[in-house]
Amino acid sequence: MATKNESKYNWNFFNRIVKDVEENWNIIQCISCGKCVGDCPASKISDFNIRKIVERVLTGDETILREEDIWYCFLCNKCSRICPKEGINIPLFILSLRNEAFKKGYAIPQLTRYINMCKNFLENGTVMKESDLKQERIKEIDKICEFARIQYLYKASKKDIGME
Amino acid sequence: MKDYVDSVVLDPDEILKQYGDNPLEFFKDKTICLFKACLEYYYPGVRNCLKLMLEDFGLNVVTSPEQSCCSGTFFQRNLITRSQFAAINERNIAAIDKIADILIVSCNGCNNSLLRGRKFLRTKEVREKTAIILKKFNQKISINPNLKIIHVLDFLHLIREHIGDHLKYSLNGLKCTVHYGCHYSNLKLDKKNDISFIAPKHKLEDLIETLGGTPIEYQERDSCCGWGASQNVIHREKSLQITFNKLKSAEMVKSDILITNCPTCLYTLNKFRDEMKDLFGEALTIPAVHINEVIGLLMGYECDKYCQLTFGSLLEELKV
Repeated sequence: MATKNESKYNWNFFNRIVKDVEENWNIIQCISCGKCVGDCPASKISDFNIRKIVERVLTGDETILREEDIWYCFLCNKCSRICPKEGINIPLFILSLRNEAFKKGYAIPQLTRYINMCKNFLENGTVMKESDLKQERIKEIDKICEFARIQYLYKASKKDIGME
Repeated sequence: MKDYVDSVVLDPDEILKQYGDNPLEFFKDKTICLFKACLEYYYPGVRNCLKLMLEDFGLNVVTSPEQSCCSGTFFQRNLITRSQFAAINERNIAAIDKIADILIVSCNGCNNSLLRGRKFLRTKEVREKTAIILKKFNQKISINPNLKIIHVLDFLHLIREHIGDHLKYSLNGLKCTVHYGCHYSNLKLDKKNDISFIAPKHKLEDLIETLGGTPIEYQERDSCCGWGASQNVIHREKSLQITFNKLKSAEMVKSDILITNCPTCLYTLNKFRDEMKDLFGEALTIPAVHINEVIGLLMGYECDKYCQLTFGSLLEELKV
Protein backbone atom coordinates (compact mmCIF):
# COMPACT_ATOMS: atom_id res chain seq x y z
CA MET A 1 0.00 0.00 0.00
CA ALA A 2 1.27 3.47 -0.81
CA THR A 3 2.33 5.65 2.11
CA LYS A 4 1.45 9.34 2.32
CA ASN A 5 4.61 10.33 0.54
CA GLU A 6 4.37 7.77 -2.22
CA SER A 7 2.31 8.28 -5.32
CA LYS A 8 -0.17 5.51 -5.98
CA TYR A 9 0.24 6.24 -9.68
CA ASN A 10 2.45 4.18 -11.97
CA TRP A 11 2.79 5.51 -15.46
CA ASN A 12 4.35 2.55 -17.28
CA PHE A 13 1.06 0.96 -18.31
CA PHE A 14 -0.57 4.31 -19.10
CA ASN A 15 2.39 5.35 -21.25
CA ARG A 16 1.96 2.22 -23.37
CA ILE A 17 -1.71 3.07 -23.90
CA VAL A 18 -0.74 6.61 -24.92
CA LYS A 19 1.93 5.25 -27.23
CA ASP A 20 -0.75 3.16 -28.95
CA VAL A 21 -3.05 6.17 -29.45
CA GLU A 22 -1.81 9.65 -28.53
CA GLU A 23 -5.35 10.91 -27.86
CA ASN A 24 -5.46 8.60 -24.82
CA TRP A 25 -3.27 11.16 -23.06
CA ASN A 26 -6.50 13.09 -22.34
CA ILE A 27 -7.54 10.34 -19.93
CA ILE A 28 -5.24 12.04 -17.41
CA GLN A 29 -7.92 14.73 -17.07
CA CYS A 30 -10.36 12.25 -15.47
CA ILE A 31 -11.60 13.61 -12.13
CA SER A 32 -13.30 10.35 -11.13
CA CYS A 33 -16.71 12.02 -10.94
CA GLY A 34 -18.42 8.84 -12.12
CA LYS A 35 -20.94 10.59 -14.39
CA CYS A 36 -19.91 8.20 -17.16
CA VAL A 37 -21.01 5.20 -15.11
CA GLY A 38 -24.54 6.40 -14.38
CA ASP A 39 -26.13 5.76 -17.75
CA CYS A 40 -23.59 3.35 -19.22
CA PRO A 41 -25.33 0.36 -20.89
CA ALA A 42 -22.38 -1.95 -20.17
CA SER A 43 -22.57 -1.07 -16.46
CA LYS A 44 -26.23 -2.12 -16.47
CA ILE A 45 -25.48 -5.67 -17.58
CA SER A 46 -21.98 -6.34 -16.21
CA ASP A 47 -19.32 -5.21 -13.72
CA PHE A 48 -17.96 -2.78 -16.32
CA ASN A 49 -17.13 0.47 -14.52
CA ILE A 50 -15.17 2.90 -16.60
CA ARG A 51 -14.26 5.13 -13.65
CA LYS A 52 -12.57 2.18 -11.93
CA ILE A 53 -10.95 1.01 -15.16
CA VAL A 54 -9.36 4.45 -15.68
CA GLU A 55 -8.10 4.44 -12.11
CA ARG A 56 -6.62 0.95 -12.47
CA VAL A 57 -4.80 1.95 -15.65
CA LEU A 58 -3.43 5.09 -14.01
CA THR A 59 -2.16 3.04 -11.07
CA GLY A 60 -0.50 0.57 -13.42
CA ASP A 61 -2.79 -2.37 -12.67
CA GLU A 62 -2.35 -4.48 -15.80
CA THR A 63 -4.52 -7.33 -14.47
CA ILE A 64 -7.42 -5.40 -16.02
CA LEU A 65 -6.29 -6.82 -19.37
CA ARG A 66 -7.13 -10.37 -18.29
CA GLU A 67 -10.66 -9.49 -17.23
CA GLU A 68 -13.71 -9.74 -19.43
CA ASP A 69 -14.90 -6.29 -18.27
CA ILE A 70 -13.08 -4.40 -21.01
CA TRP A 71 -14.92 -6.45 -23.62
CA TYR A 72 -18.32 -5.28 -22.33
CA CYS A 73 -17.98 -1.66 -23.48
CA PHE A 74 -20.75 -0.83 -26.01
CA LEU A 75 -18.53 1.87 -27.63
CA CYS A 76 -21.70 3.97 -27.63
CA ASN A 77 -19.83 7.19 -26.76
CA LYS A 78 -22.48 8.27 -24.26
CA CYS A 79 -19.74 8.71 -21.66
CA SER A 80 -17.93 11.22 -23.90
CA ARG A 81 -21.14 13.21 -24.28
CA ILE A 82 -21.76 13.33 -20.55
CA CYS A 83 -18.13 13.80 -19.41
CA PRO A 84 -17.47 17.26 -17.89
CA LYS A 85 -13.93 17.22 -19.27
CA GLU A 86 -13.04 17.93 -22.87
CA GLY A 87 -11.37 15.42 -25.11
CA ILE A 88 -11.71 12.23 -23.06
CA ASN A 89 -12.46 9.52 -25.61
CA ILE A 90 -13.44 6.41 -23.67
CA PRO A 91 -14.26 4.16 -26.69
CA LEU A 92 -10.79 4.79 -28.14
CA PHE A 93 -9.22 4.16 -24.71
CA ILE A 94 -11.09 0.85 -24.42
CA LEU A 95 -9.99 -0.16 -27.92
CA SER A 96 -6.37 0.48 -26.86
CA LEU A 97 -6.84 -1.69 -23.77
CA ARG A 98 -8.28 -4.45 -25.94
CA ASN A 99 -5.31 -4.02 -28.24
CA GLU A 100 -2.97 -4.57 -25.29
CA ALA A 101 -5.04 -7.60 -24.24
CA PHE A 102 -4.65 -9.02 -27.75
CA LYS A 103 -0.88 -8.53 -27.63
CA LYS A 104 -0.75 -10.44 -24.33
CA GLY A 105 -2.95 -13.21 -25.70
CA TYR A 106 -5.90 -12.42 -23.42
CA ALA A 107 -8.58 -11.88 -26.10
CA ILE A 108 -11.93 -13.45 -25.24
CA PRO A 109 -12.97 -16.75 -26.91
CA GLN A 110 -16.30 -15.26 -28.04
CA LEU A 111 -14.40 -13.49 -30.83
CA THR A 112 -14.62 -16.75 -32.79
CA ARG A 113 -18.27 -15.76 -33.38
CA TYR A 114 -16.88 -13.27 -35.87
CA ILE A 115 -15.46 -15.95 -38.12
CA ASN A 116 -18.31 -15.91 -40.62
CA MET A 117 -18.48 -12.13 -40.73
CA CYS A 118 -14.72 -11.95 -41.37
CA LYS A 119 -15.04 -14.55 -44.12
CA ASN A 120 -17.90 -12.66 -45.78
CA PHE A 121 -16.04 -9.36 -45.58
CA LEU A 122 -12.82 -10.65 -47.11
CA GLU A 123 -14.61 -12.73 -49.76
CA ASN A 124 -17.55 -10.42 -50.59
CA GLY A 125 -16.65 -6.99 -49.24
CA THR A 126 -19.74 -7.01 -46.99
CA VAL A 127 -20.68 -8.86 -43.81
CA MET A 128 -23.55 -10.46 -45.71
CA LYS A 129 -23.33 -13.62 -47.78
CA GLU A 130 -24.08 -11.87 -51.05
CA SER A 131 -22.55 -8.84 -52.71
CA ASP A 132 -22.29 -7.23 -56.13
CA LEU A 133 -18.72 -6.02 -55.57
CA LYS A 134 -16.32 -7.07 -58.33
CA GLN A 135 -13.46 -9.48 -57.57
CA GLU A 136 -10.93 -6.82 -58.49
CA ARG A 137 -12.36 -4.53 -55.79
CA ILE A 138 -12.55 -7.33 -53.26
CA LYS A 139 -8.85 -7.96 -53.77
CA GLU A 140 -8.22 -4.36 -52.72
CA ILE A 141 -9.96 -5.04 -49.42
CA ASP A 142 -7.75 -8.07 -48.96
CA LYS A 143 -4.66 -5.97 -49.64
CA ILE A 144 -5.75 -3.36 -47.11
CA CYS A 145 -6.29 -6.03 -44.47
CA GLU A 146 -2.91 -7.71 -44.98
CA PHE A 147 -1.42 -8.84 -41.64
CA ALA A 148 -4.54 -7.75 -39.72
CA ARG A 149 -6.07 -9.90 -36.99
CA ILE A 150 -9.11 -10.33 -39.22
CA GLN A 151 -6.94 -12.64 -41.35
CA TYR A 152 -6.48 -15.06 -38.42
CA LEU A 153 -10.23 -15.43 -38.04
CA TYR A 154 -10.54 -15.78 -41.81
CA LYS A 155 -8.01 -18.61 -41.77
CA ALA A 156 -10.01 -20.25 -39.01
CA SER A 157 -13.04 -20.22 -41.32
CA LYS A 158 -11.09 -22.44 -43.71
CA LYS A 159 -10.60 -25.08 -41.07
CA ASP A 160 -13.32 -27.23 -39.60
CA ILE A 161 -12.65 -26.37 -35.98
CA GLY A 162 -16.25 -26.58 -34.88
CA MET A 163 -16.67 -22.81 -34.52
CA GLU A 164 -19.83 -20.88 -35.32
CA MET B 1 -7.05 24.02 -46.09
CA LYS B 2 -10.03 22.37 -44.44
CA ASP B 3 -9.62 19.62 -41.85
CA TYR B 4 -10.02 15.97 -42.99
CA VAL B 5 -13.43 15.67 -41.30
CA ASP B 6 -14.81 19.15 -42.00
CA SER B 7 -13.91 18.80 -45.67
CA VAL B 8 -16.46 15.99 -46.14
CA VAL B 9 -19.26 17.04 -43.77
CA LEU B 10 -22.31 18.63 -45.37
CA ASP B 11 -23.65 21.23 -42.96
CA PRO B 12 -27.49 21.47 -43.07
CA ASP B 13 -27.38 24.89 -41.35
CA GLU B 14 -25.31 26.32 -44.20
CA ILE B 15 -27.86 25.02 -46.74
CA LEU B 16 -30.68 26.55 -44.70
CA LYS B 17 -28.90 29.92 -44.75
CA GLN B 18 -28.79 29.91 -48.54
CA TYR B 19 -31.92 27.96 -49.41
CA GLY B 20 -34.16 28.63 -46.42
CA ASP B 21 -37.37 28.66 -48.47
CA ASN B 22 -36.67 25.43 -50.32
CA PRO B 23 -33.57 23.50 -49.20
CA LEU B 24 -34.29 20.84 -51.84
CA GLU B 25 -33.09 23.36 -54.46
CA PHE B 26 -29.52 22.92 -53.18
CA PHE B 27 -29.60 19.26 -54.27
CA LYS B 28 -31.28 19.78 -57.67
CA ASP B 29 -28.17 20.04 -59.83
CA LYS B 30 -26.19 17.45 -57.88
CA THR B 31 -25.75 13.69 -58.12
CA ILE B 32 -26.72 11.94 -54.93
CA CYS B 33 -25.24 8.59 -53.95
CA LEU B 34 -26.94 6.34 -51.39
CA PHE B 35 -24.44 4.47 -49.20
CA LYS B 36 -25.17 0.74 -49.12
CA ALA B 37 -25.32 -0.43 -45.50
CA CYS B 38 -24.87 -4.18 -44.91
CA LEU B 39 -27.97 -4.45 -42.72
CA GLU B 40 -30.15 -3.07 -45.52
CA TYR B 41 -29.89 -6.63 -46.82
CA TYR B 42 -32.65 -7.47 -44.31
CA TYR B 43 -34.52 -4.20 -44.86
CA PRO B 44 -34.24 -3.29 -48.57
CA GLY B 45 -37.03 -0.75 -48.08
CA VAL B 46 -34.59 1.51 -46.22
CA ARG B 47 -32.76 2.32 -49.46
CA ASN B 48 -35.53 1.61 -51.96
CA CYS B 49 -38.02 3.99 -50.35
CA LEU B 50 -35.43 6.76 -50.15
CA LYS B 51 -34.39 6.21 -53.76
CA LEU B 52 -38.01 6.35 -55.01
CA MET B 53 -38.72 9.50 -53.02
CA LEU B 54 -35.61 11.31 -54.28
CA GLU B 55 -36.39 10.33 -57.86
CA ASP B 56 -39.95 11.58 -57.44
CA PHE B 57 -38.46 14.87 -56.27
CA GLY B 58 -36.53 15.04 -59.54
CA LEU B 59 -33.09 14.29 -58.10
CA ASN B 60 -30.34 12.26 -59.74
CA VAL B 61 -29.71 9.18 -57.55
CA VAL B 62 -26.98 6.54 -57.84
CA THR B 63 -25.29 3.80 -55.82
CA SER B 64 -21.64 2.84 -56.19
CA PRO B 65 -20.81 -0.65 -57.50
CA GLU B 66 -17.32 -0.14 -56.03
CA GLN B 67 -18.38 0.48 -52.46
CA SER B 68 -17.61 -2.09 -49.73
CA CYS B 69 -18.79 -2.49 -46.13
CA CYS B 70 -17.57 0.35 -43.88
CA SER B 71 -15.71 -2.23 -41.72
CA GLY B 72 -16.84 -0.57 -38.48
CA THR B 73 -17.70 -3.89 -36.90
CA PHE B 74 -14.14 -5.19 -37.45
CA PHE B 75 -12.47 -2.02 -36.20
CA GLN B 76 -14.62 -2.09 -33.08
CA ARG B 77 -13.23 -5.55 -32.26
CA ASN B 78 -9.60 -4.60 -32.97
CA LEU B 79 -9.54 -6.95 -35.95
CA ILE B 80 -8.17 -4.21 -38.20
CA THR B 81 -5.95 -1.23 -37.32
CA ARG B 82 -6.86 2.45 -37.47
CA SER B 83 -4.85 2.81 -40.70
CA GLN B 84 -6.59 -0.15 -42.33
CA PHE B 85 -9.98 1.15 -41.19
CA ALA B 86 -9.15 4.62 -42.56
CA ALA B 87 -7.95 3.06 -45.84
CA ILE B 88 -11.18 1.09 -46.32
CA ASN B 89 -13.25 4.23 -45.77
CA GLU B 90 -10.96 6.35 -47.97
CA ARG B 91 -11.34 3.75 -50.72
CA ASN B 92 -15.11 4.07 -50.46
CA ILE B 93 -15.03 7.88 -50.38
CA ALA B 94 -12.75 7.98 -53.44
CA ALA B 95 -14.99 5.56 -55.37
CA ILE B 96 -18.14 7.53 -54.58
CA ASP B 97 -16.41 10.89 -55.16
CA LYS B 98 -15.97 9.84 -58.81
CA ILE B 99 -19.70 9.48 -59.40
CA ALA B 100 -21.50 11.78 -56.97
CA ASP B 101 -21.51 15.14 -55.20
CA ILE B 102 -23.52 14.17 -52.13
CA LEU B 103 -23.48 10.94 -50.11
CA ILE B 104 -26.55 10.16 -48.02
CA VAL B 105 -25.95 7.55 -45.32
CA SER B 106 -28.95 5.77 -43.81
CA CYS B 107 -26.98 3.83 -41.16
CA ASN B 108 -25.49 5.39 -38.01
CA GLY B 109 -22.60 2.92 -38.02
CA CYS B 110 -21.58 3.59 -41.64
CA ASN B 111 -21.85 7.35 -41.11
CA ASN B 112 -19.67 7.09 -38.01
CA SER B 113 -17.10 4.94 -39.87
CA LEU B 114 -16.78 7.32 -42.82
CA LEU B 115 -16.18 10.31 -40.55
CA ARG B 116 -14.07 8.42 -38.02
CA GLY B 117 -11.79 7.13 -40.75
CA ARG B 118 -11.24 10.77 -41.79
CA LYS B 119 -10.65 11.75 -38.16
CA PHE B 120 -7.87 9.18 -37.80
CA LEU B 121 -6.09 10.82 -40.75
CA ARG B 122 -5.45 13.84 -38.51
CA THR B 123 -2.76 11.72 -36.80
CA LYS B 124 0.47 11.81 -38.79
CA GLU B 125 1.40 8.20 -38.08
CA VAL B 126 -2.02 6.88 -39.18
CA ARG B 127 -2.05 9.16 -42.22
CA GLU B 128 1.34 7.91 -43.39
CA LYS B 129 0.42 4.26 -42.90
CA THR B 130 -2.92 4.78 -44.67
CA ALA B 131 -1.13 6.40 -47.61
CA ILE B 132 1.22 3.40 -47.87
CA ILE B 133 -1.73 0.99 -47.84
CA LEU B 134 -3.63 2.94 -50.51
CA LYS B 135 -0.54 3.11 -52.69
CA LYS B 136 -0.72 -0.68 -53.09
CA PHE B 137 -3.53 -0.09 -55.59
CA ASN B 138 -2.44 3.33 -56.83
CA GLN B 139 -4.78 5.35 -54.69
CA LYS B 140 -4.18 8.42 -52.54
CA ILE B 141 -5.86 10.04 -49.57
CA SER B 142 -8.44 12.55 -50.84
CA ILE B 143 -7.37 15.71 -49.05
CA ASN B 144 -10.32 17.81 -50.11
CA PRO B 145 -12.84 15.69 -52.05
CA ASN B 146 -15.78 17.20 -53.84
CA LEU B 147 -18.05 14.67 -52.12
CA LYS B 148 -19.99 15.81 -49.07
CA ILE B 149 -21.54 13.39 -46.57
CA ILE B 150 -24.85 13.76 -44.73
CA HIS B 151 -26.77 11.41 -42.44
CA VAL B 152 -30.21 10.57 -43.81
CA LEU B 153 -31.98 12.00 -40.76
CA ASP B 154 -30.30 15.38 -41.19
CA PHE B 155 -31.20 15.29 -44.88
CA LEU B 156 -34.84 14.32 -44.33
CA HIS B 157 -35.21 16.94 -41.62
CA LEU B 158 -33.83 19.55 -43.96
CA ILE B 159 -36.43 18.82 -46.66
CA ARG B 160 -39.29 17.84 -44.34
CA GLU B 161 -41.70 20.49 -45.56
CA HIS B 162 -41.30 19.24 -49.11
CA ILE B 163 -41.92 15.68 -47.91
CA GLY B 164 -45.02 16.83 -46.02
CA ASP B 165 -46.41 18.37 -49.22
CA HIS B 166 -46.07 15.07 -51.13
CA LEU B 167 -47.58 12.56 -48.71
CA LYS B 168 -50.46 10.39 -49.89
CA TYR B 169 -51.22 9.15 -46.41
CA SER B 170 -50.75 10.41 -42.87
CA LEU B 171 -49.69 8.83 -39.60
CA ASN B 172 -53.14 9.98 -38.41
CA GLY B 173 -52.03 10.98 -34.94
CA LEU B 174 -50.45 7.59 -34.30
CA LYS B 175 -48.44 7.59 -31.07
CA CYS B 176 -44.79 7.27 -32.06
CA THR B 177 -41.69 6.68 -29.97
CA VAL B 178 -38.24 7.32 -31.41
CA HIS B 179 -34.84 5.67 -31.31
CA TYR B 180 -31.91 7.77 -32.60
CA GLY B 181 -29.19 5.23 -31.87
CA CYS B 182 -25.93 5.89 -30.03
CA HIS B 183 -23.84 6.69 -33.07
CA TYR B 184 -26.25 9.41 -34.10
CA SER B 185 -26.99 10.83 -30.63
CA ASN B 186 -23.42 10.71 -29.37
CA LEU B 187 -21.54 11.55 -32.56
CA LYS B 188 -19.44 14.68 -32.28
CA LEU B 189 -17.60 14.52 -35.59
CA ASP B 190 -20.34 16.16 -37.67
CA LYS B 191 -21.14 18.81 -35.06
CA LYS B 192 -19.85 22.36 -35.27
CA ASN B 193 -19.58 22.87 -31.52
CA ASP B 194 -20.07 21.27 -28.11
CA ILE B 195 -23.55 22.75 -27.72
CA SER B 196 -24.92 20.95 -30.77
CA PHE B 197 -23.14 17.78 -29.56
CA ILE B 198 -24.67 17.87 -26.07
CA ALA B 199 -28.10 19.27 -26.98
CA PRO B 200 -31.05 16.81 -26.93
CA LYS B 201 -31.92 15.50 -30.37
CA HIS B 202 -35.31 16.41 -31.86
CA LYS B 203 -35.19 15.78 -35.63
CA LEU B 204 -37.08 12.47 -35.59
CA GLU B 205 -39.86 14.02 -33.52
CA ASP B 206 -40.05 16.99 -35.93
CA LEU B 207 -40.33 14.61 -38.88
CA ILE B 208 -43.01 12.53 -37.17
CA GLU B 209 -45.07 15.68 -36.67
CA THR B 210 -44.66 16.48 -40.36
CA LEU B 211 -45.90 12.98 -41.15
CA GLY B 212 -49.00 13.51 -39.01
CA GLY B 213 -47.91 11.40 -36.04
CA THR B 214 -47.73 12.25 -32.35
CA PRO B 215 -44.26 11.82 -30.85
CA ILE B 216 -44.32 10.63 -27.24
CA GLU B 217 -41.62 10.45 -24.58
CA TYR B 218 -40.52 7.25 -22.88
CA GLN B 219 -38.05 6.36 -20.17
CA GLU B 220 -35.49 4.57 -22.38
CA ARG B 221 -35.60 7.06 -25.27
CA ASP B 222 -31.87 7.68 -25.26
CA SER B 223 -30.71 4.18 -24.37
CA CYS B 224 -28.83 1.85 -26.71
CA CYS B 225 -30.78 -0.63 -28.86
CA GLY B 226 -28.62 -3.41 -27.43
CA TRP B 227 -26.45 -3.99 -30.50
CA GLY B 228 -23.64 -2.20 -28.66
CA ALA B 229 -20.92 -2.50 -31.31
CA SER B 230 -21.68 -6.21 -31.60
CA GLN B 231 -22.23 -6.89 -27.88
CA ASN B 232 -25.22 -8.72 -29.28
CA VAL B 233 -22.76 -11.13 -30.92
CA ILE B 234 -20.35 -11.40 -27.99
CA HIS B 235 -22.68 -11.27 -24.98
CA ARG B 236 -26.08 -11.91 -26.55
CA GLU B 237 -28.25 -12.74 -23.54
CA LYS B 238 -27.03 -9.82 -21.46
CA SER B 239 -27.24 -7.29 -24.26
CA LEU B 240 -30.78 -8.45 -25.07
CA GLN B 241 -31.73 -7.17 -21.62
CA ILE B 242 -30.96 -3.67 -22.92
CA THR B 243 -33.04 -4.31 -26.07
CA PHE B 244 -35.91 -5.70 -24.01
CA ASN B 245 -35.88 -2.74 -21.60
CA LYS B 246 -36.03 -0.31 -24.51
CA LEU B 247 -38.96 -1.98 -26.28
CA LYS B 248 -40.80 -2.61 -23.02
CA SER B 249 -40.40 1.03 -22.06
CA ALA B 250 -41.92 2.11 -25.40
CA GLU B 251 -44.82 -0.30 -24.90
CA MET B 252 -45.41 1.00 -21.38
CA VAL B 253 -46.33 4.44 -22.75
CA LYS B 254 -48.68 2.73 -25.24
CA SER B 255 -46.68 3.72 -28.28
CA ASP B 256 -48.12 2.37 -31.55
CA ILE B 257 -44.80 2.30 -33.35
CA LEU B 258 -41.08 2.81 -32.70
CA ILE B 259 -39.31 4.76 -35.43
CA THR B 260 -35.54 4.71 -35.88
CA ASN B 261 -32.95 6.09 -38.30
CA CYS B 262 -30.52 3.16 -38.36
CA PRO B 263 -30.93 -0.29 -39.99
CA THR B 264 -28.50 -1.88 -37.50
CA CYS B 265 -30.60 -0.68 -34.55
CA LEU B 266 -33.70 -1.76 -36.49
CA TYR B 267 -32.27 -5.26 -36.91
CA THR B 268 -31.56 -5.50 -33.18
CA LEU B 269 -34.96 -4.18 -32.19
CA ASN B 270 -36.81 -6.64 -34.46
CA LYS B 271 -34.73 -9.75 -34.99
CA PHE B 272 -34.57 -11.16 -31.45
CA ARG B 273 -38.20 -10.91 -30.30
CA ASP B 274 -38.62 -14.71 -29.95
CA GLU B 275 -35.32 -15.06 -28.12
CA MET B 276 -36.33 -12.27 -25.72
CA LYS B 277 -39.67 -13.94 -25.11
CA ASP B 278 -37.85 -17.13 -24.10
CA LEU B 279 -35.36 -15.23 -21.96
CA PHE B 280 -37.65 -12.78 -20.19
CA GLY B 281 -41.03 -14.51 -20.48
CA GLU B 282 -42.82 -11.67 -22.22
CA ALA B 283 -43.69 -11.14 -25.87
CA LEU B 284 -43.07 -7.61 -27.16
CA THR B 285 -45.21 -6.58 -30.11
CA ILE B 286 -44.45 -2.94 -30.82
CA PRO B 287 -43.47 -2.56 -34.50
CA ALA B 288 -40.05 -0.99 -35.14
CA VAL B 289 -39.53 0.66 -38.53
CA HIS B 290 -36.86 2.80 -40.21
CA ILE B 291 -37.88 6.41 -40.93
CA ASN B 292 -37.16 5.88 -44.67
CA GLU B 293 -39.68 3.02 -44.70
CA VAL B 294 -42.32 5.09 -42.88
CA ILE B 295 -41.97 7.93 -45.36
CA GLY B 296 -41.98 5.49 -48.30
CA LEU B 297 -45.14 3.86 -47.07
CA LEU B 298 -46.89 7.20 -46.56
CA MET B 299 -45.85 8.26 -50.06
CA GLY B 300 -47.50 5.14 -51.43
CA TYR B 301 -44.41 3.12 -52.37
CA GLU B 302 -44.20 -0.62 -52.06
CA CYS B 303 -42.09 -1.24 -49.02
CA ASP B 304 -40.15 -4.46 -48.40
CA LYS B 305 -42.10 -7.50 -47.22
CA TYR B 306 -40.87 -7.18 -43.66
CA CYS B 307 -42.02 -3.59 -43.40
CA GLN B 308 -45.46 -4.46 -44.79
CA LEU B 309 -45.66 -7.29 -42.28
CA THR B 310 -44.57 -5.07 -39.40
CA PHE B 311 -46.96 -2.32 -40.27
CA GLY B 312 -49.70 -4.95 -40.85
CA SER B 313 -52.28 -4.01 -38.24
CA LEU B 314 -51.48 -0.32 -38.62
CA LEU B 315 -52.11 -0.14 -42.35
CA GLU B 316 -55.87 -0.01 -41.93
CA GLU B 317 -55.62 2.60 -39.22
CA LEU B 318 -53.42 4.68 -41.50
CA LYS B 319 -55.86 4.10 -44.38
CA VAL B 320 -52.95 2.95 -46.57
